[in-house]
Amino acid sequence: MRTLPANLLKAVTFWALACLARADSAAPAAPPEPPERHWRLGVALGYGERTNPLIQSEKIPVLVDLDIAWFGKRWFFDNGDVGFAVLDRPAFTLNAVARVNTDRAFFSKTNTRYINFQYLAAGNTSSLVPPPGSQQPTEVQAFRPPRRDYAVEFGFETLFDGEWGAATVRAFHDVSGTHDGFEVGVDYDYRLTRNRFSVAPSVGIEYKSRALNDYYWGVHADEANITLAEYHADAGFGWHAGLRSNYYITKHLRAALSVNYERLQDSVADSPLVKQDYVLGYFGGFAWTF
Amino acid sequence: MRQLIMAAIAACTLALPAAAADSAPVRMAVKPLLCVVDKGASSCIMSFDIRWKSVRPNEYCLNDSAKPEPVRCWAAALDGALLQEREVSEEFVFWLGAPGGVDHLAEVKVSVLRVDSADRRRERRTRHVWDVL
Repeated sequence: MRTLPANLLKAVTFWALACLARADSAAPAAPPEPPERHWRLGVALGYGERTNPLIQSEKIPVLVDLDIAWFGKRWFFDNGDVGFAVLDRPAFTLNAVARVNTDRAFFSKTNTRYINFQYLAAGNTSSLVPPPGSQQPTEVQAFRPPRRDYAVEFGFETLFDGEWGAATVRAFHDVSGTHDGFEVGVDYDYRLTRNRFSVAPSVGIEYKSRALNDYYWGVHADEANITLAEYHADAGFGWHAGLRSNYYITKHLRAALSVNYERLQDSVADSPLVKQDYVLGYFGGFAWTF
Repeated sequence: MRQLIMAAIAACTLALPAAAADSAPVRMAVKPLLCVVDKGASSCIMSFDIRWKSVRPNEYCLNDSAKPEPVRCWAAALDGALLQEREVSEEFVFWLGAPGGVDHLAEVKVSVLRVDSADRRRERRTRHVWDVL
């Protein structure tokens, strides 16, 4: 489950090209819908949080959720993602997208802890054994999780939808030289709307390369110390599931409730930088769409 | 000049009760007010509970802005109620007026919200870590 063939990116490229090829034989376009506004602006106020799997970190509170998006004929900006619709066909839409990796966000809310390098064993105070080549610390030391940089990733996503729901297939590769890794994933969701109420369960699975996982969740040789053993995260699969529900009060206002559970890849969960093998997010509040 | 201003104020003061008498305050309430349309549907079948009340009895007609003929008229009534089933695919207004009149003594708008989009990009999940909606 942790490894994939080395030519996975080639397969993804093939899939993107297959989409291009299929476009030529696709059915004619559906009748045009009334034009929609370019901008989509919204704000949600309420309470929620997202757990942080990183050691010595705090949960990420969610009190305000902004939705800022702009959709042109081909270009679009969607809450930080910049995209270009390469193909838009009745059966699917293929987008080229540049985005910022989200793993980095967990490294923003970290704490410094002060650690005394002594521990109690059977009632006696003993010294910890330092890694080879390093000095035994004698004083209380400041420790905080290592720094990680944002990565800009570029890739393709294909959006499908129908009576059966909606699905996304995506593949992204680092283009900023931060981790040099890649991620591929598939998401599915189904929205059921009855009167003013809608509920949308979703599931997804993603594969992250060793380079990506190891950059964010590994303990690199120069970071290893007496409390943090060197660790190399491997490639692997993670999955997530969620439920979003809305009750539309007016055309612009809705009550929103959502919950999302993400299971980290095994190799990430085993990292000494990780205290929980999952990320749980929830939010309840009111959302206004302008 | 001062006399002109005083005359204008007096004219307005005297004219106001007359205007109020011509169009007695009428209140109208309609439930529900929102049709939510999702993928695979182009309209809602809605059952409207329409209630209105006036301070003075008169002849009133309930109109639907999408239809040329009144939905129903009441003769010398102080209030009225109606259950009206209707297919809704576009925004429209229920309004109350005098028979054959065009003045809206009271009106209530029924909105249509399309939660799906013909543009799939608008349906993509936003990705920033705080996004929960």
